[in-house]
Amino acid sequence: MNYRKVFFALTLVMVLALTVACAGGGGGGAAPTAAPAASKGEINVGSLNDLTGATSDVGKDYALGVQEAVKWINENGGINGKTIKLFQYDYGYRVPEAQTIYKRFRDFDKVVAVLGWGTGDTSALSPTINQDKMPYVSASYAGELTDPAKTPYNLFAAPDYSTSARAALTAWYEEVWKKDARFASEQSGKPRFIAFYQKSSPYSSAPIKALKEQATLLGFEIGADQDVALTALDTKSQVLAAKDFKPHVVWHGNTTNSVATALKDAKALALGADHLVNTYGYDENLPKLAGDAAEGVMGIAVAAFYGENIKFMDTVVASAKKYNPNTPQDTRLIHTVKAWANTLVLREAMTRADKAGKLNGEGIRAAFEELKDFDIGLGVTPLTWSSSDHRATGQVRIYQIKGGKFNLLKQMDMKAKYASDWPKWIGY
Amino acid sequence: MSTMRLPSGTYHENYTQDHAWWQTRFVWIRMIALFAILFIVFPYFAGGYELSVANRIGYTILCALGVQLLIGFAGQVTLGHIAFVAIGAYTSALFTLRVNEATPILKDLGLTYPISVILAMLVAGLWSMLFGLPSARVKGFYLIMTTMAAQFITVDFIITHYISRVGYRGVSFSLPPGTIRFGPWDIRTDLEQYFLMLILVILGILFVGNLMRTRIGRAWIAIRDNDIAAEVLGVNVVRYKLLAFFVAGALAGAAGSYANAVSFTVSPEQFGFGESLWLVGVVLIGGIGSNYGTVFGAIFLTLLTEMVQPTLKFILPDLALKTSYVKDMIFGLAIIVFLLLEPKGLAYRLQRLKDYVHLWPFSY
Repeated sequence: MNYRKVFFALTLVMVLALTVACAGGGGGGAAPTAAPAASKGEINVGSLNDLTGATSDVGKDYALGVQEAVKWINENGGINGKTIKLFQYDYGYRVPEAQTIYKRFRDFDKVVAVLGWGTGDTSALSPTINQDKMPYVSASYAGELTDPAKTPYNLFAAPDYSTSARAALTAWYEEVWKKDARFASEQSGKPRFIAFYQKSSPYSSAPIKALKEQATLLGFEIGADQDVALTALDTKSQVLAAKDFKPHVVWHGNTTNSVATALKDAKALALGADHLVNTYGYDENLPKLAGDAAEGVMGIAVAAFYGENIKFMDTVVASAKKYNPNTPQDTRLIHTVKAWANTLVLREAMTRADKAGKLNGEGIRAAFEELKDFDIGLGVTPLTWSSSDHRATGQVRIYQIKGGKFNLLKQMDMKAKYASDWPKWIGY
Repeated sequence: MSTMRLPSGTYHENYTQDHAWWQTRFVWIRMIALFAILFIVFPYFAGGYELSVANRIGYTILCALGVQLLIGFAGQVTLGHIAFVAIGAYTSALFTLRVNEATPILKDLGLTYPISVILAMLVAGLWSMLFGLPSARVKGFYLIMTTMAAQFITVDFIITHYISRVGYRGVSFSLPPGTIRFGPWDIRTDLEQYFLMLILVILGILFVGNLMRTRIGRAWIAIRDNDIAAEVLGVNVVRYKLLAFFVAGALAGAAGSYANAVSFTVSPEQFGFGESLWLVGVVLIGGIGSNYGTVFGAIFLTLLTEMVQPTLKFILPDLALKTSYVKDMIFGLAIIVFLLLEPKGLAYRLQRLKDYVHLWPFSY
């Protein structure tokens, strides 16, 4: 059969082409221990994003933010006049793919730093990036990435998940439980707390230990965790199981789509609890998806919401309009702003390292650790890194949705509030 | 008698010759060249990226060998194989972490990890056999459903809720470099992972290949082709089916142990249902009922998905991110195309090519 021959020939050509392309990729030789800059006038940076996987509901917006921030940086002075060449890949939230893409960044694209994404892949890559001395600025704010003794090259421009979760629970305890008339008759007892999250996901489960520790510290009664998938379309069984416990407050540790589903089911089944949402579940899409069920929901915002009237936001919005004009403005989210925050601090560190003539892993890390109360605007609290602590900030902003809008409820300074516990909380 | 088609003029005079793995001088030269490439040339020239892609291919082969054994050789369709890989990974990780802590002597001698691999194979094999029990009563579509249950019960329930929480925080166990040692050999770099992969893959292929030449292999093939006829001929169908599940599970256990050496971490997230489907895809595209098929399928699909993004980026630099779904789409597309146009897979095509060369110029 003729078409079989054609098909066979095509397959053979494809396999050969792929093999040649793959074999030619690395340029041969042993793997370099430290990534050098590609060429004069150009600095290579990798970006690992989730555009098709379980967290793509928030990952796409973040990827656009990285793209736009880099374009803006290149048009506005770059890194001491050098431009950033961005290598951006989707890894579908799959750890093995993240590992090979990282190695592509390191050995083929010769990047000096990586802007990463998820907790699972960032944790899995952590030993390798430490070995390679590769600065890795992640969208994962997992507490386990903040101890330089264990993860010296992991960095991010936000409070870590554990600190944020502690802050959110404390804010609810102080502002709602203690003050709200709904709980006046119950205040002599213990508030009941329960967590909804995907147990198998390192992102979702990252702050749970700290959160429960804080709940115990504040005297909460803790119910059994409810396992809710990141891709959940129905959470009725979990809500019904939680209802038996009669929780006063529920923690939602997943991303927006899953959180919206849980909020709607909680309202439909009259769970009657307040809700606290982790940072990647709390964005502009939440009130749109959950509607009335999102009313009164509290959550963590590590940066300003997209388009908020705040320092530097006009640049973010103008860049979004300029570089991605076909993406409607009303679909842009806070994750764009988070991407800008990470990219801008990386820019600052690279600029300082370059000035010092050390544009390599060690130089960039040292530059990060020099930054003290660094203010990038965008609603990000001042950032400080040190050689012994990579928790860039202890300040957490807790918002509440009212009339479909996000209102700042409280800014918690966890470092100041729990000064004696703060050193112990590093690294988880 | 050997089923291999030999070049004209090649005759065997005894059983040893007839059953040899490599039967002609040309095959010997070819295989020595292949081993030289795998052990010397490729690792010498390849950078970390190429090695890590090779490691992914090797991991896929290790996982898919068991799927091939079940589907291709024993005729037992499985859609939950990654669950046994997960069992292997967790058994190996828990054993390595615990024993390294408790008996540093074993760690210093580099024996913890090798022992954990054997243990992982055993535990995963037994676990797989447990989920193979329904094969005594059901087959076809119904067996698919029971193997799917293995995925959900093992990964989504037992591992996520219990095993992943044993003694350590969160769901991901960290196995930092230095934890995994194979004798004096510290598995740290891509190159060390590559050699470990190569050894495991070669042993796995030799093991399955040899097994298929024994009474057991023939019994599996008999069951695959017609289980009633096999039973009539005196084959203990249930026993051999369970043995197939055990061996497939043990191979998955080895794959899971190897995954730890590459990832430095293990979490249930790595063993989703999609991975089980992926392994079936590898076997379908590579060719059912052939070890070559497992290898070709793994190479083809891994390279295909690995190169889609760079190729798209090269062709459409501004649209690469917006077309990232193509990577996932292409897996489904490849399966459809192969099932329609080349249902016997890449291995069959290679066999045809070899036959053509061997019989040339009298191919009729």
